[in-house]
Amino acid sequence: MNCILCGKCLEVCPLLRATNREELSPRAKADLATLLKNGELPLSGEDVAGLTGLCLGCRRCRDKCPQGVDVPALVADLRAAHPDFRSWLWKTWLKRARELWPSSSLAAKLIPEKFQPERLAPFLKALALLEGGPHIVPFVNIRELPDHKGEAMLLFSGCTARYVQGHWRKTAEKLLSAMNIELRKDKFECCGIGLESAGFGADAGKMREKNVQTWRKAGKPKIVTLCVSCHKGLTGYSGCFKNPEEALQWTEALTPISELLFDGRYVLSENTPARVGYHRPCHAPKNDTDHTLLTAVLGERLRSHDGRECCGFGGIMQLGAPELCARVNARCRQSLEGAGVVLTGCSACAAQLTATAPEGIRVGHWLEILKTP
Amino acid sequence: MENLTPEQETFLADLFPSDALLLRPEQTAVFSTDASRLRAAPLAVVRPKNREQVAELLHWAHSERIPIYPRARGTGTVGNAVPAKPGIVISMLAMNRILDIDDRDFVAVVEPGVVTGDLQRTVSERNMFYPPDPASSGFSTVGGNVSTCAGGLRAVKYGVTRDYVLGLEAILPGGRALRSGGRAHKDVVGLDLTRLFVGSAGKLGVITELTLKLLPKPETTASVLAGFPDIRRAMDGAAAIFRAGMLPAALEFMDKATLTALDIAGTSPLPKEAQAALLVRVDGSEAVVNAETDRLQAALQKARPVHLMTGRDENEEALWDVRRGISPASFHLKPDKLGEDIAVPRGKVAEAVEGVHAIAAKYNLTIMCFGHLGDGNIHVNTMYNASWPEEADNAAMAKGEIFRLALSLGGSISGEHGTGLTKAAYVDLQLDADQQALMADIKRIFDPHGIMNPGKGW
Ligand SMILES: Cc1cc2nc3c(=O)[nH]c(=O)nc-3n(C[C@H](O)[C@H](O)[C@H](O)COP(=O)(O)OP(=O)(O)OC[C@H]3O[C@@H](n4cnc5c(N)ncnc54)[C@H](O)[C@@H]3O)c2cc1C
Ligand code: SF4
Ligand code: SF4
Repeated sequence: MNCILCGKCLEVCPLLRATNREELSPRAKADLATLLKNGELPLSGEDVAGLTGLCLGCRRCRDKCPQGVDVPALVADLRAAHPDFRSWLWKTWLKRARELWPSSSLAAKLIPEKFQPERLAPFLKALALLEGGPHIVPFVNIRELPDHKGEAMLLFSGCTARYVQGHWRKTAEKLLSAMNIELRKDKFECCGIGLESAGFGADAGKMREKNVQTWRKAGKPKIVTLCVSCHKGLTGYSGCFKNPEEALQWTEALTPISELLFDGRYVLSENTPARVGYHRPCHAPKNDTDHTLLTAVLGERLRSHDGRECCGFGGIMQLGAPELCARVNARCRQSLEGAGVVLTGCSACAAQLTATAPEGIRVGHWLEILKTP
Repeated sequence: MENLTPEQETFLADLFPSDALLLRPEQTAVFSTDASRLRAAPLAVVRPKNREQVAELLHWAHSERIPIYPRARGTGTVGNAVPAKPGIVISMLAMNRILDIDDRDFVAVVEPGVVTGDLQRTVSERNMFYPPDPASSGFSTVGGNVSTCAGGLRAVKYGVTRDYVLGLEAILPGGRALRSGGRAHKDVVGLDLTRLFVGSAGKLGVITELTLKLLPKPETTASVLAGFPDIRRAMDGAAAIFRAGMLPAALEFMDKATLTALDIAGTSPLPKEAQAALLVRVDGSEAVVNAETDRLQAALQKARPVHLMTGRDENEEALWDVRRGISPASFHLKPDKLGEDIAVPRGKVAEAVEGVHAIAAKYNLTIMCFGHLGDGNIHVNTMYNASWPEEADNAAMAKGEIFRLALSLGGSISGEHGTGLTKAAYVDLQLDADQQALMADIKRIFDPHGIMNPGKGW
């Protein structure tokens, strides 16, 4: 569908809100993609890719657009058509997660001098903190968990929980086993969402294929996710199925871990902070089950801002325009002011908010607050 | 003038450092168009942060005779923000501070680039209310709303943007600052220069600050959706509401073509017998709203609706989703649309809608009528297929007839969107030569060289 320039997407773009630069808006990107395709203006593809590449990939505009215009996909196509060093770096970073992520110093070495590594300091700090910044001391006691005896499930830990934040994965595994779930070993690849937005659709496609295969081989059980961005990535697998029924089975199989925890009973311990902030990730679905669970568990103590702000992680955009990402991040932090602990359900948000948190503020995945059996 | 001279470019670069000046085609592309989808390339785009920069720019542009196009979020549908002649677009989005919200004076002082929805949210947190609510309030600005005198659903009870502008600061061509009005809710001294700016579509100067009136926030709301067998009965229902002495906070209607579109889209909760509908909202304290909802239902029953639904809280929003769904649903009828927003006296709405239906029949077109019944502002959407030449011609001819119909009923060719580029050719139908000459004289006093937003209709 074509962009009709209605401007509805302007309401949700965190980049426009933080910068007030209309040329960075989703409408500007959609318009430029059309102009370039139709050859209507003397535009250079490279310049258009450079400008439209200033996009956080949050996908909020896509969800808002009444015409079904997918701006982040247009951006990914432009990135794919005009790759540069940053794309290479990002791709390397995502594809070699196993070796690179646990060592940010190794990642730093990938960045040549001319790219002014000092500009990328916040990004590198986020990477470093992935290794394990100051963790949250758990404060929620679990009294009872629902019984899922006899149900087999697969855990989709996601790259962060697999390679650096092993304790998220361990917590998840313990919770699932306490629910008597028969857990199959996690043999999944990366969900592909980061590669796809950066313009590496083919690489992402291969990962998708493998993931669907893994699920088929396991007998198509439920897939439990920990990270809403992975979950979002997994929901975008439309082209990978044999038929619509299988596609539906896949969608129904995807289960955020928070959904499984709904029917548990939880008690707050004495060290529970008076104010706990919740950062709603851009990739959270409309029905944000993480938030519903946390509201039920924490009650009045949970302060949720209006969910409009993005953490500013931005994926590949961090490598090109860290200053702009920092402006988006500053608004987000402002909206979380006053909370001693900030929780979220997305690995990238957790990394970004940890790296930029003021002194004394603890940030983490909400799984960290649970005292596991 | 095709390009800026090197001297002009240097001047702009000095005044607007770094990313506050845009010259490259990929950067300026979006500033060449707006929601009208018309397009003309600007010579440059500048992004002031303060009034001093605007004043210096207007001083310079005045002496260089360079056209200036103020622009906010570019959501206008008639092309008012399109730089029709080569000139400089001023993006006002970086001037978006809320300077003061005062719950004793009940005023807000803001820069023009504030998004209307953000202002509404902020004052609401302080238990106050900024009523003007164009459907674009989430993504358009207060400055744009004032410059177009935007209206919305609440106009029937609360009026339009004009009714909330107490004062403003504007920079005029030459760089002079005009301050008019202020925080006092009443002021009758002198000609009302503030109002002159409301709806002036950037033709007099650049607004740099606004003082807006606020109201106490209504405690709650409730809504009723009623389906009727035909448009006359729906109008009887509306008349019964007013006759009962009620003034609803919103009173919308939908005709048969509109309900058909919603039905195809699967978003109409009404039964098939409903060929016209009213959507009504009341607001106030809990007790008042409860009582008013009962009275509203009783009044509507007099017109014998085929279906009646009442909604509070989430259910109320679901009723309004029906209204919000009209625009997307319209494309289920035909791929292209000519959207007009005629206004007629409240008592003439039924006649206007029937007149439009007759025009639709004459040209064999599908025309949807819906909108703000309470204030006589009717959205007339002619649905057609632009790739069929005959249908496209018919749609264009119908447009002229629709305007003549509105005028014959004592109305206006535009109640909200203005004339800009898309309706400039029809202004003569409504304004005679004397009126237009007087307006041109007034503009000349503010803008002797005609640099402010040239090429647009009154
Ligand atoms: C989906 C949709 C729904 C809409 N619904 C409504 C509705 O319900 N009611 C309604 O009235 N309109 C509606 N509109 C039209 C539009 O949103 C309004 O006209 C709005 O007021 C424009 O605001 P903007 O910030 O986008 O201004 P722009 O479109 O950027 O500018 C509008 C005009 O204001 C001038 N201007 C802007 N800022 C200044 C300034 N600081 N000083 C001087 N001049 C200035 C511009 O030159 C231009 O002439 C709708 C549009 C869309 C796309
Ligand atoms: S991308 Fe969609 S929402 Fe944004 S301006 Fe275009 S049509 Fe409207
Ligand atoms: S994906 Fe996010 S940052 Fe990118 S244009 Fe859309 S809303 Fe803006």
